[in-house]
Amino acid sequence: MSMEDYDFLFKIVLIGNAGVGKTCLVRRFTQGLFPPGQGATIGVDFMIKTVEINGEKVKLQIWDTAGQERFRSITQSYYRSANALILTYDITCEESFRCLPEWLREIEQYASNKVITVLVGNKIDLADKREVSQQRAAEFSEAQDMYYLETSAKESDNVEKLFLDLACRLISEARQNTLVNNVASPLPGEGKSISYLTCCNFN
Amino acid sequence: MADNLPSEFDVVVIGTGLPESIIAAACSRSGQSVLHVDSKNYYGGNWASFSFSGLLSWIKENQQKTDVSDECEDWRKLILENEEVISLNKTDKTIQYVEDFCFSNQDSAEDVEEAGALSKLPVFGAAGAEGAAQESEKECTPMESALPGAESWEPGKAAGSDPASATEGNDTEITSESGSSHNSALGESTLELGKTEAAPSETSAQEPKKITYSQIVREGRRFNIDLVSKLLFSRGLLIDLLIKSNVSRYAEFKNATRILAFREGKVEQVPCSRADVFNSRQLTMVEKRLLMKFLTFCLEYEQHPDEYQDYESSTFAQFLRTRKLTPSLQHFILHSIAMVSETDCSTLEGLQATKKFLQCLGRYGNTPFLFPLYGQGEIPQCFCRMCAVFGGIYCLRHSVQCLVVDKETGRCKAILDHFGQRISANYFVVEDSYLSESTCKNVCYRQISRAVLITDQSILKTDSEQQVSILRMPPVDVGQPAVCVIELCSSTMTCMKDTYLVHLTCPSTKTAREDLEPVIQKLFNLNTETEKETENEELEKPRVLWAVYFNMRDSSGIDRNSYDSLPSNVYVCSGPDSALGNDCAVKQAETIFQEMFPTEEFCPPPPNPEDIIYEEDELAPEDSGFNNSPETKPEPAPEEGSGRGSTTVEQEHREG
Repeated sequence: MSMEDYDFLFKIVLIGNAGVGKTCLVRRFTQGLFPPGQGATIGVDFMIKTVEINGEKVKLQIWDTAGQERFRSITQSYYRSANALILTYDITCEESFRCLPEWLREIEQYASNKVITVLVGNKIDLADKREVSQQRAAEFSEAQDMYYLETSAKESDNVEKLFLDLACRLISEARQNTLVNNVASPLPGEGKSISYLTCCNFN
Repeated sequence: MADNLPSEFDVVVIGTGLPESIIAAACSRSGQSVLHVDSKNYYGGNWASFSFSGLLSWIKENQQKTDVSDECEDWRKLILENEEVISLNKTDKTIQYVEDFCFSNQDSAEDVEEAGALSKLPVFGAAGAEGAAQESEKECTPMESALPGAESWEPGKAAGSDPASATEGNDTEITSESGSSHNSALGESTLELGKTEAAPSETSAQEPKKITYSQIVREGRRFNIDLVSKLLFSRGLLIDLLIKSNVSRYAEFKNATRILAFREGKVEQVPCSRADVFNSRQLTMVEKRLLMKFLTFCLEYEQHPDEYQDYESSTFAQFLRTRKLTPSLQHFILHSIAMVSETDCSTLEGLQATKKFLQCLGRYGNTPFLFPLYGQGEIPQCFCRMCAVFGGIYCLRHSVQCLVVDKETGRCKAILDHFGQRISANYFVVEDSYLSESTCKNVCYRQISRAVLITDQSILKTDSEQQVSILRMPPVDVGQPAVCVIELCSSTMTCMKDTYLVHLTCPSTKTAREDLEPVIQKLFNLNTETEKETENEELEKPRVLWAVYFNMRDSSGIDRNSYDSLPSNVYVCSGPDSALGNDCAVKQAETIFQEMFPTEEFCPPPPNPEDIIYEEDELAPEDSGFNNSPETKPEPAPEEGSGRGSTTVEQEHREG
């Protein structure tokens, strides 16, 4: 396969309490499946889905927590170089919402400054058991400058939208960066070593 | 607690340092159920890295050393009659003599807070406007990392006979994830408010920026300060393991860019690759030829025993003197390339060390070393992630009261945790610092002296600010050890912009400060800003803004039998050793794993199920164009690199 089969590559990372449906969201989006039981995702590191947005191929690399959130033991390295974070809670579980500030602290500490964060309230198919109102979540997300969306991995509500909107935002951010930074030009350190190495060709 | 731990596992691993983490990953990978715990709230134990505020808390903790031994021992009721206990440590006693100093301006440092990633300033909604208004700087792109032109010392013919066209392909995987030309999005760039950035070429000529203590605090999360300072030999065991196990995908690396030497009071760059030698301005033509000839000989010294066998009983330094090398070349080879002792390294050891260095040169760039972005502390975590991906369960902040031993069989059967929960397992892996004083009463530990400095300039200024340098300082006095100095720039993601993070390490003879301060004084200016500087020389040296010294226990190389009455199914991992590379930890992990599971393969490549769309092409190098220096054979096409690399690995193990 050629390297040119996509125009953008983004790393998206999911966090949030155990059992809020992170893996289900990823599975639903990447494989169109809703796993009936919470089958452990042994050996699966991240899932990839390539989507097309306005004629551009965007490859999304979506990372799951590998269960390390269960006892609040996510490795810092998990957050490194993520372009976007999906912070997930369960609308039928107050506790999962109340833990959000704790997750935000982790993001503050370890994520890149440019990370885009989306707040996702999952399980809207269980509306009759709702414990977290939309208004509260909307207020919270506004205060934290996050996008906010409610989804159902089970009914496939808003799942596609979540990832596609995110991809759009990531593209426009990346464009901005390219404009401002002129990324194509070498970095201070590397520029030096590259020209240096080129000149040794003449020996 | 909402979620309870299962109470049965195959393997319980206590401590999240590098060897323990590799073992946990290997066990989990081979299908064992693994519980991996650490009593701390961070990963890595003495292998951890910290943000600036994190390090300050760590310092405080280690200066105060509260003893919590008076805790009630209710859990003893949970021990049955036919059982004995081996109590574990409650406090870590591996760090001593912690002293920190601030030399930068502290005037306004009182209420400063660390700024987080989500600081409210750049509002997402206004992303467009904001992007145009701010001058942002590309701090570091991971993908630039390890590939700027691999240049090989291997003679051309050897490269051909090397059974590894696959090797080269695999090599690139370590930098992986990022070969795409559209990688802009993956790079971490920093948005700086205002126009703080001058062009790099200008800055180097200017006075260094005055960084205050409050700036360090505010930018504290930009720091990833390692408790141990190591580099990865590009053909060392750890790189091989990272590649073989695919754990390399969780980390990004950067090449060390310079090898430095300290001679006659000055820091200079050591030419070590072919290109370096040719381009060196310090060396005369004659010296270039002598050095090239000698290094080429070292690469294949085994084939020319006549050249060195008369000197097998002398030291390497003595041998060098017979080789018609000028004093500066001898110094470079002894201290910066072989990195061995002048007084007690034999000719053969020196030749081996030189060869190892030279062999590592061509793999990723023109020094033999790689450094993980965000610090060495990432590496244990990467193995933990691997363990978790294969089902391992992780619990930080989880203390273990004791090991429970069956009196009859003498085997350890369970642990009791701090909740009094009994968790049984077949095998137990415990890091040395968790073992109690009574278990370790016959163990004699060595110590490592460490210093970490935040400085305002590089120890050797060039037109590029972004250098990763290694300098081995020869002993100041006879009987003193050489000191390893590693200077990291901000693009390694371990320190804030306009600063450098300098790590000093040596085996202890005294307290860390006593061992290292004399070396620091030679290289740096230790005056506070308010003090009047008299000597011009001092002004030219980089200023130390902040420093910490500490001694760390070196529990490597301890014979298992010196621990008192440990059951045979309890395995002990050591903390970090003082060596530059990581071979010791990898060897220990592999040995322990193989003792537990003699028939299982150690960290084989993960399976490739179809549902993981894991495309090789994205891992291919984009810039192989830089690699074609005339001495090297042209690189094989990236597509050939899809092999899993096990042949390479086996081969390397024999050499290592």
